[in-house]
Amino acid sequence: MTHMRCPPTLELALGPITAVDLALYAAASGDLNPLHLDADAARAAGFERPIAHGMRTMACLGRLFTDRFVATALRMLETRFVGSAKLGDSLVLRATLTHTEADAATYELSAQTSAGAPVATGSARVTLAAERAG
Amino acid sequence: MTDRSRIGHTTEPTTHAVDGWRVKLFCQAIGETDPVFCDPAAARRAGHAACPVPPTFLKALESEHQSGAVLMALLDVPMTGVLHAEQRFEFEVPVHVGDTVEISRTVADIFDKRAGAMTFIVVDSHFRVAGQAVAKARQTIVVRNSVPAAA
Repeated sequence: MTHMRCPPTLELALGPITAVDLALYAAASGDLNPLHLDADAARAAGFERPIAHGMRTMACLGRLFTDRFVATALRMLETRFVGSAKLGDSLVLRATLTHTEADAATYELSAQTSAGAPVATGSARVTLAAERAG
Repeated sequence: MTDRSRIGHTTEPTTHAVDGWRVKLFCQAIGETDPVFCDPAAARRAGHAACPVPPTFLKALESEHQSGAVLMALLDVPMTGVLHAEQRFEFEVPVHVGDTVEISRTVADIFDKRAGAMTFIVVDSHFRVAGQAVAKARQTIVVRNSVPAAA
């Protein structure tokens, strides 16, 4: 059985993170922590610039799957925020197929800045059964 | 100092309607352009009863139940040194616009690493629709105890 429906890699490159991006994510998510919005708050927390919400990075990792599979195919998504994406950083998001079963596929995830600094790692599992229903 | 007596603390469930406008705003914020999430006709064409929500939207809904600031106040932790360390979702049943989601959260664990330089807080979230579990989430928060609290 082949898994032509499961590409070996999925990739998404995102342009520089703007202040508007972070404000919009704050409003949409309800995460109003000033660490993500305010330069002084970021400095007080030990960062030279405001950092992007980890959940924003995770949401973009989710897009790797909603772009390729049906909207409800994702069954598990986990990330470890190993670094921080800062205001102005560009991101490269990748999923690498690690395992397939009859009705499911598992991917390993990575998010890094375009300069190669790690931001997040993780894994995801998609069901392929939903593809038929979708 | 993180209040360890809160391990096991479970919130009273609250209910939250999944609003189409909120989902649309969330899609805009994450660059999700698939109309299936925002256009009911596109959702029906794709075989969904209504627009499904993007995978991590449940975290946004969760913030209405209990924001990070409220959780940290409960645990007596200043926000300044707090970072999101890990997040996991398991999706059992798709959630759609128009659903009413019941949410509760439990502080699963609090522990130190690096001789107390960092405290980790693990919080589980439970999402139910019409009494049925639809998803669960586990958030791990790190408190960097070396970062001075903001004045």
